[in-house]
Amino acid sequence: MKYILETKKISKYFESSNVQANDDVDIKLSKGEIHAVIGENGAGKTTLMNILYGLVSPDSGEIFIEGVEKEINHPNKAINLGIGMVHQHFKLVPSYSVAENITLGMEPRKNKFFLDKKEESKSVKELSNKMGLEIDPDSLIKNLSVGMQQRVEILKVLHRNAEILIFDEPTAVLTPQEVRELLKIVKSLAKKGKTILFITHKLGEVMEVADTVTVMRQGSVVGTKKVKDTNVNELASMMVGRDINFVRIGNPNKPGEVVLSVEDLMVLNEVGVEAVKGVSFEVRRNQIVGIAGVSGNGQNELVEAIVGMKNIEYGNLTFYGDNINKLNVGKRRDLGMAHIPEDRIETGLNMGANLEDNIVLTGYKTDQFSKFGFLLKKEMQKFSKDIIERFSVASAVPGEGVSMLSGGNMQKVVLGRELSGNPELVIANQPTRGLDVGSIEFVHKTLINNRDNGSAIILVSVELEEIFNLSDVVVVMFDGLISGIVKPEEVTLEEIGLLMAGQPIDEDKLIQYKEMGV
Amino acid sequence: MAITCGLILASILLLAADKSPIEAISSIFRDAFTCSSFDRCNIFTTFALATPLMLTGLSAVVAFRSGIFSIGQEGQMMLGAIVAAYIGHWVPLPDNIHSIVISIGAIIVGGLYGWFAGWLKIRLGINEIISTIILSEIAILLLLYLVNFPMRGDRGATAYSPKIDETAMLKVFAPGSKFGTGFVIAVFAVILVYFYLWKSGKGYEQRMSGEAPRFAFFGGIKSEKAALRGMFISGGLAGLAGAIEVMGVHYRINQGFNLMNLGFDGLSVAILGLVHPLGVFIVGIFLAGIRMGAQLGLQFTLGIPRELGGTIIGFMILFVAAEKLFQKIFDIDLRSKFRRKKDA
Repeated sequence: MKYILETKKISKYFESSNVQANDDVDIKLSKGEIHAVIGENGAGKTTLMNILYGLVSPDSGEIFIEGVEKEINHPNKAINLGIGMVHQHFKLVPSYSVAENITLGMEPRKNKFFLDKKEESKSVKELSNKMGLEIDPDSLIKNLSVGMQQRVEILKVLHRNAEILIFDEPTAVLTPQEVRELLKIVKSLAKKGKTILFITHKLGEVMEVADTVTVMRQGSVVGTKKVKDTNVNELASMMVGRDINFVRIGNPNKPGEVVLSVEDLMVLNEVGVEAVKGVSFEVRRNQIVGIAGVSGNGQNELVEAIVGMKNIEYGNLTFYGDNINKLNVGKRRDLGMAHIPEDRIETGLNMGANLEDNIVLTGYKTDQFSKFGFLLKKEMQKFSKDIIERFSVASAVPGEGVSMLSGGNMQKVVLGRELSGNPELVIANQPTRGLDVGSIEFVHKTLINNRDNGSAIILVSVELEEIFNLSDVVVVMFDGLISGIVKPEEVTLEEIGLLMAGQPIDEDKLIQYKEMGV
Repeated sequence: MAITCGLILASILLLAADKSPIEAISSIFRDAFTCSSFDRCNIFTTFALATPLMLTGLSAVVAFRSGIFSIGQEGQMMLGAIVAAYIGHWVPLPDNIHSIVISIGAIIVGGLYGWFAGWLKIRLGINEIISTIILSEIAILLLLYLVNFPMRGDRGATAYSPKIDETAMLKVFAPGSKFGTGFVIAVFAVILVYFYLWKSGKGYEQRMSGEAPRFAFFGGIKSEKAALRGMFISGGLAGLAGAIEVMGVHYRINQGFNLMNLGFDGLSVAILGLVHPLGVFIVGIFLAGIRMGAQLGLQFTLGIPRELGGTIIGFMILFVAAEKLFQKIFDIDLRSKFRRKKDA
């Protein structure tokens, strides 16, 4: 049988992050099917799509289009071959009309020189009618909803005669109604003979819309199944199932007083869509609460709302019984909140500044480092040396910049700054991302130490292993909501995987948020 | 590096004009940085010329370091000059106190003008480059209006305001030049700005907000407040520059006051001085020297147009910009090498 698109042994290694993003990936698409690619973050889905669209060139492997080997080294090449990509973040000109956006770069002309606006609008209208994607060609992009903008993206791809459409996590930015609408569109496109490659981590959508599903894990294909021959449980365990190194570290103390309680919290993301849709949980002294979930399910917005970097739309944050909704970042830090951000390059550190300037960020106003408004250089140097020693930040030198440090050492600098004041509450967001094994172990030990010294810790991670090994209670987030609160010792990895994909598990294993400390 | 490249290119130009580059360049330096006798001392004139450059340069440094690319020094300077010309003539005050009051007034007025540009950016999101250009233009026109009508001294051919009182004039150290208290104030400002930016908590806030806004926000720094403070200080320094030009050099404002472009030259000084107060000090004197030398050495001695001095400065700015680019390329290269070594 001839496939419309087939890859053979595609491999890609990223030297900069030391990641084998794709490892001998084989994938086969038949004409007219909806083929879903699922997997956790970092499974290599996006890399594979970028290779197919000519944005990334593979180290080895071949791509066949209708049985003929092709080299795709540029998106233009992909478009010529009939491959189109519907990006997660739309690439549209807000002040242009729908028709202008769709025909951008290939505008119809009169006498070779003048734009033919009528023809432009007419051709777009025809296309949208033919494909069943109704839209007004003359309305401006900036006046359209996110769902309609996505429709324009799809039409843009179709206008370039794409036969294979790649959707990169298309539902991540949509409201539930818009998602239903999109899935309908995808199905009707397939009926009209287009081939759809659908990247997602939401199992529900896969079951609803796809014909075939390929599961990826750590850069490799785990398996390809017909959707009618499989079920959610099997897919979930294919996604997460792996040998996990369980080294649970016991907690010598009982969880104490409630430090932070989050009640019915609602937060918008930067485009104004609800990202956290009513979340409640508590974290106590001597306790680590792990927040699991595939990334992009509201974790970052939750973290930023807790530390004060994002406004709260609705709900309450209570710190030792006091409402802190209105406090800014600095005031919350003064209360004893520490934050280890997901992004250490831009948020956690100032790459342009030296070590002292980075380390003194949280304490430059305190008596320890300033006198009459002037910074005490000697104290800053002493503190830097102290952190270098205690956190064994190899190769860091006081007075020199931090940009030359390795990722692990950068993270140690952040940890040193955030954790040295014995904070009441630590919010650690992906604290081990991109680190080597030794550094990961160090970060874990440090967090455990802080917990044993009385800190309350919120650990947000997409690494299930980390969540399992460190957390006393696990909160699983899916689509902006908590899909379950569980004790790590009472559930299996597969059950967490199901919760992460928004599927229900055995009610008896779930606990209520008011019982999180028990 | 940039300075050498600038000089080399200038040499090529000189060769093209059939003049000896070595002679020309040495005459620039000879005439700018030497002293034949106490009352005929070129270097003192260089210092006097450097005074406004250093202050407007510092003004740009403080603004840039708060993350706002303000190029409004020209306008803030005009306002400072207007304040000086007004108080200097119409508000009689005792010796010394007069110049102190003028300085404070010019700092406040220039500072508020700078603060306003910052406010426009932070509250209304108006691009600071555009707003500062327009605000400068407004201030220049205001000065021209005042000089031509309400503050006009007499009915001469060119309009100028009446001379300020002697009580408001700054002391001159060396007769025959304008080298005096103004230069001391500028040097003092260099030191103050250095301590503010690098040694104080407020300066730390401002630098962090400018260099890494997200980092500052994450750490709980109120970046907006820090940026507005920076813009006030920046405007104040430029205002002071204008006041000192009036109190120490011209003793009045006139029709052509804006044609000296001292505010815009401050930007060059700040960029060539690598946005650092000490750099501003060195480059300010150096640029003033080249200008001085180009006038005395090239034009009077060798008959080469003094615009060449401006060309040299232009080249140097170009090379400083290029140098940053080289550094970046070099830096990335070095980093990837470093990483490879570690992997091996």
